[in-house]
Amino acid sequence: MTTPAPAAGKTYDLSFARWVRDNINGGDKLNLCMQCGACSGSCPIGVQMDYGPRKLFMMIRAGMKEEVLSANTQWNCTSCYRCVVRCPRGVPVTYILQDLAAKSAEFGYAKGPHENKNFAQSFWWSAATFGRTDERLVTMRYFFSLGLGEGFKRAMANLKVALGMVKTGRMHIGLPHMTKGRKGLKAILAKAREIEARH
Amino acid sequence: MTEKKTMTYYPGCSSQGSGKHLDESLRAVMPEVGIEMEDIEDWNCCGASIGHIGGGQLPNLALTGRNLAQARKRGTQDVITGCAACYLNTHGGNEKIKADVKKKAEVNEALAEAGMSYDGDLKVRHACEVLVNDVGVEAIEKRVTNPLKGLKVAGYVGCQTVRPFAGTEAGGDYDAYDDPTFLDDFTKACGAEAVPFKHKTSCCGGSVAVMSPDRTLHLMKAIVEEAAKQGADVISTPCPLCQTNVEMYQPLINEKFGTDYHIPVVFYSQLMAVAFGMDGEKDAALQRNTIRSEKLEGMAKKK
Ligand code: SF4
Ligand code: SF4
Repeated sequence: MTTPAPAAGKTYDLSFARWVRDNINGGDKLNLCMQCGACSGSCPIGVQMDYGPRKLFMMIRAGMKEEVLSANTQWNCTSCYRCVVRCPRGVPVTYILQDLAAKSAEFGYAKGPHENKNFAQSFWWSAATFGRTDERLVTMRYFFSLGLGEGFKRAMANLKVALGMVKTGRMHIGLPHMTKGRKGLKAILAKAREIEARH
Repeated sequence: MTEKKTMTYYPGCSSQGSGKHLDESLRAVMPEVGIEMEDIEDWNCCGASIGHIGGGQLPNLALTGRNLAQARKRGTQDVITGCAACYLNTHGGNEKIKADVKKKAEVNEALAEAGMSYDGDLKVRHACEVLVNDVGVEAIEKRVTNPLKGLKVAGYVGCQTVRPFAGTEAGGDYDAYDDPTFLDDFTKACGAEAVPFKHKTSCCGGSVAVMSPDRTLHLMKAIVEEAAKQGADVISTPCPLCQTNVEMYQPLINEKFGTDYHIPVVFYSQLMAVAFGMDGEKDAALQRNTIRSEKLEGMAKKK
């Protein structure tokens, strides 16, 4: 399989790298990367990524914006932090990938029913609405966000697991657990969003 | 352990769902070794590793800000949590608020909407780090009245309990992030046998496993396979997501790879509750495991 890669001899466009530096959480440390590959070599799920973190970072430097933002690398990262603790240059690899995921979603690169994006949105819906993660509702909302048919398929496939959780009392029946101060929490989150939009 | 301590406890969302048995067993064993825990009043979700995608970076950090503002109402005593993701977010967020004046100001501007504030003067700690540094493995061993003789335990630490903060000063500097020993030390203190386990800090797939098991079943298979090879009776873990993933996906692993695994996955705190001679259900919450360990349940005291 051939994958897009920075072309040798080409003059690189640094505008994307600068954008990453200024807009991505941890992106200001990206210029410390010396392309050693310790991150990609440590990654438990690297083989399932379009490009490992090392290559993705080189592509950022090469200005390959489209390829970077549409890569599955940032979505397959499990946040295991192995790359972070092993990077000899102190690059916060995980944080960079996590924020690249958020920005790819924001800019419409995670198209259609997208597992990670939809799951993250269902998760946030619960946290922001109830103040807590309700595992039942997050899962169901996520399943059906992928489409009605897919929702039923996944719900059925998970029935046995869910019943086991109910039986052992790890999934409750009834209303979600909630933070009492939800009104205040919502005001805090709205304000935080507003502040972030100022940047 | 020298003296009794009181800490402010952050249970986290899994304590009311899939990780109930971590919460119940922690609440049972911590006071037994001198750590009293008072809940953060009306806490909220920590945001886990994906909150920033749906909510944005600052709103996600504000979740931690609100929790710590609530925790601060109990004074400056340390905040303790047993959940790896809660620890990672709350500790990491706290350190960010401490280090970055601008972020701190922004978080406080948001908190002010609910009449709250947080100055960054708390310390957020993982229960395992407290057990190692404040309680001490010897004190745990001393409390054991019902040693788990003959129980073979594979100590599965997982990722976020030790990465990236275990080797840092703010993280309590209590162990290594690649080859930690604390979990095996707990196992041995309980009188059980810690089998060699090369996957102790391998990744289970985290939230990717939850949303899309097929992408990470091979990771969980490697963990279970190694535990089986080492003859472990149970896998012990500190992380609620590791516990649930590695337990609930064993039937799917078997289906996909034609294997026949059926290894119980328990929390170190459940082992401690049994070893402390406490109640097998009320304190050790062994009935909450979907794959039950007859051997461990046989050792547990029944009241
Ligand atoms: S480990 Fe660090 S320095 Fe090495 S390639 Fe990865 S990010 Fe770059
Ligand atoms: S944190 Fe992500 S990129 Fe880094 S090693 Fe783990 S899965 Fe790979």
